[in-house]
Amino acid sequence: MTTTKHNTSLFSQIYMMAFGLVMVAFISIFNHDPAKADHFDDIITNAKGQTVYFNAWGGSPAINSYIDWVATRVADEYDITLVHVKLSATSDSVSRILAEKTAGKSVGGSVDLIWINGENFAAMKHNDLLRSDSWAYDLPSFGYTDPVALPGILNDFGVPTDGQEAPWGRAQFIFGYDTAYVDTPPRSAAELAAWITSHPGRFSYPKPSDFIGMSFLKQILLETSPDISLFAKPVDQSSADQALTPLWQWLDAAHPHLRQGGKHFPANYTAMIQMLGDGELSIAFAFNPAEFSNGIAQGILPDTVRSYVHDSGTLANVHFVAIPFNANAPEAAQVVANFLLSPEAQSHKAHSDIWGDPTVLAMDKLPPDMQTVFAKLPLGIATLDESSLGKTLPEFHPSWVPYIEKQWADRYTGQ
Amino acid sequence: MISRFVIILICLLPIMAGLAGAILPASGWFAPLGRYHFSLEPVFLFLDQPAIWTSIWLSGFTALVATFISYVLAMALLARLYHNGRAGIIFRLIAPLLAVPHITVAVGFLFLLQPSGWLIRLLSPWLTGWERPPDLYLIPDAYGVGLILALIAKELPFLLLMGVSALSQIKVNDHLDHAASLGYRPYSAWLYIITPQLAKRMRLPVMIVLMFSVSVVDMALILAPSLPPPLAPRILDWFYDADLNNQFIAAVGAVVQLGLALICCVIWISSAYATGQFIRHLTYHGKRGYMPSVLVKGCRKTLFIIAILPCLISVMGLISVIIWGFANIWRFPAVLPDQWGVRAWINTADMMFVAGFNSVMIAGISALASVIIAIIWFEQSATRYHSHMEKWLYLPLLLPQASFLFGLQIFLIWLRLDGLYITLIWVHMLFVFPYVMLTLGPTWRRFDRHYTDIAATLGASKIRQLFRIKLPILLTPIMTAFAIGFSVSCALYLPTIFASNGRMITLTTEAVTLASGASRQALGVASIMQMILPLVVFLLCDAVIRWRFGRFRHFRA
Repeated sequence: MTTTKHNTSLFSQIYMMAFGLVMVAFISIFNHDPAKADHFDDIITNAKGQTVYFNAWGGSPAINSYIDWVATRVADEYDITLVHVKLSATSDSVSRILAEKTAGKSVGGSVDLIWINGENFAAMKHNDLLRSDSWAYDLPSFGYTDPVALPGILNDFGVPTDGQEAPWGRAQFIFGYDTAYVDTPPRSAAELAAWITSHPGRFSYPKPSDFIGMSFLKQILLETSPDISLFAKPVDQSSADQALTPLWQWLDAAHPHLRQGGKHFPANYTAMIQMLGDGELSIAFAFNPAEFSNGIAQGILPDTVRSYVHDSGTLANVHFVAIPFNANAPEAAQVVANFLLSPEAQSHKAHSDIWGDPTVLAMDKLPPDMQTVFAKLPLGIATLDESSLGKTLPEFHPSWVPYIEKQWADRYTGQ
Repeated sequence: MISRFVIILICLLPIMAGLAGAILPASGWFAPLGRYHFSLEPVFLFLDQPAIWTSIWLSGFTALVATFISYVLAMALLARLYHNGRAGIIFRLIAPLLAVPHITVAVGFLFLLQPSGWLIRLLSPWLTGWERPPDLYLIPDAYGVGLILALIAKELPFLLLMGVSALSQIKVNDHLDHAASLGYRPYSAWLYIITPQLAKRMRLPVMIVLMFSVSVVDMALILAPSLPPPLAPRILDWFYDADLNNQFIAAVGAVVQLGLALICCVIWISSAYATGQFIRHLTYHGKRGYMPSVLVKGCRKTLFIIAILPCLISVMGLISVIIWGFANIWRFPAVLPDQWGVRAWINTADMMFVAGFNSVMIAGISALASVIIAIIWFEQSATRYHSHMEKWLYLPLLLPQASFLFGLQIFLIWLRLDGLYITLIWVHMLFVFPYVMLTLGPTWRRFDRHYTDIAATLGASKIRQLFRIKLPILLTPIMTAFAIGFSVSCALYLPTIFASNGRMITLTTEAVTLASGASRQALGVASIMQMILPLVVFLLCDAVIRWRFGRFRHFRA
């Protein structure tokens, strides 16, 4: 039984890879198809005067004002009204769209465009809640991306995007340290463990129920596991326990030397960043390369904080926008998605004073004048440039998140 | 009579539905998830949760200890208050705390006591030598002491308020004079004669405090340990979990919370009975209870310190909250911000406006409606002094919140009523109305009926008597009841998120969200708003009373 299951997943892996390669070939052929441009001109014409309800997390003032800027631009350029529906959690919208589908509402839905990735994308795709005609590949701006250099564009946490979502931005796991207290930061999981032991009480991580806390556990796993290919596939009960052993060994050794003796953890990463700012911690981490520069600009962090990454690379993923199956203004939603992916919007977004979210575009696919714009972007005082960000490590299949979270709770609750 | 039945029905239906909505899924039956058979599986899943007994123990322990200390302090302070006519600084510290929401007090504790908090800033580095925050966590502590202190800071004022009202119904001076003539010292006379009468009248408020403490979520999220947290926040975690199977565990948690509340009640009532028997034993033996004056003074000092500690922490905490609201940059170990400013107010203006508007609307409407319904209730029941039916109105305060709110939400979603303004006001009224009744009841019932009788002989109708005589004379207690109802509604956390399905934000829900770690400045702003709102309402009520009675000021002695 187990063997069959294993074989199936192996075949589906091969199938997925083959499919991805075909897709890449397909895209590079059609990128230069003049018919596509005409087709998109029709979409732009149809989109005039439509209103797009963009459901996106609204917890960051910087991101909100960036979306405001996008709204002004698409209003000027395409006569589209963009309304930012500020969410506290993306899953709220996912369940609303699911409720609409259950109620039989197949047109005129309340969501036109949704900011999404990972677990929520997997759930929406699985429940057929997304527009599925691979519209994302047809966006003219998609031609500026390079799925070979950045495979995350086609593969969202191990789930093929199939053109059901358009890439918007990129996140990479990044560490920050306060130079007032640390001379040379540890550049691997093993070095970090040694540093923690010799500097008790100056490191902690958010609970795994927090996204960044979970990402930290993934980062440690990727650095300590002999075989990381396992994590790209759905959790296999028979091998999962063994796969997590290196993580528990690392944590068991580190916990007694964490802040509060590993008995209490920050509720989320913003709390951890605040603790770095207070000097409680010497090292912290985030999922946005501009995080530490932003923190300095806002006065949360002292200007002695700098960023660094681990030598073997750090966890990275891509975030997307998707169009629900019952969107009320699908044409305008595509035009907005295309604008979000345009070099203009991408370079504005990457500016450290605006948002500081790295671009998903490939520099060598851009016209020379846009390359210059990107090259001239100011980097924050604590932000690493593209080359210093180093290698990226792949995301886990979404099924690992609840699994690791439960195992962690079972091990470390009530100790 | 009929209107009273309707009122009872409106109050009790959601509770019955809520309890059913917890008990059914707890036993495996849950139609929305397609489970139509009963099983013990949810119970086993619940028991399988890591360190579940620690959570249950933590909830029961903190609730009983906090209630016990608050109660003893309140009883002792009431005795002091009566003898001195005032208890000085303690009362001045305590009174404002009544109007401050629980979550705001908890945030104050956090801002004062955390390693980078104001307390350590005040002492560093000149005294402690600390240039960085030490790995010294006063909160959260393993035994929930921080939570207990914060609960005392909030419950002591409430019990004192209820105690003052109860004392006014007892002929204290007569009793004390009799006792003194029999050779009892004031303190023993108080203990033997007044305390039993007072205790009887304090039963309801104390049970309310105990139930609130068992089920407190917002304060526990900030001040209690998190690995594992007490039971109430864990129920919320399961409820919010993406895995729908955890709904069953949440349901079992809600039922277990009900059982825990029952056990706490039994412990409380049996210890109260034993204490009562002991006092009676002393009384029968005519013990005059001589205490050397040194000991009396010592007791008084100890009492003062225990009473003042939670209040002092709260007040200092609230001051640090206000400072954070106006700090652009405030590094450790600076005692005051490096850079003052209103950046947080500008950044959060949108959100604070929406949250503040919701808070004011919900609290204003539910307090107003509660006062009107309470007046209708009193007018209907004026003929019978103690109505049996009235006890049922306090049921929402006598059950742990999560035990029925969890199930209630399932029904609200099923009826598609979740997230509506009217639903939220209704659920808030379940909690606001009993507090309004508690505040307004005693004064309303002491109303001197001669006034209305005279009006009646002059031919005034019942309605005319009410509007022309009763309401104007009772304006002060009515305004007080409204203000208290308003602040109760402002402070509600769990009822708000369950009734709105987490979709409606108020200042309290925002404060809880921000307290998990986002910017301290934003949390400071939310907390300041939470302090100001009830305060403004209290001041407005006071202004109305002054304006209304201004023309009688010459009648004062």
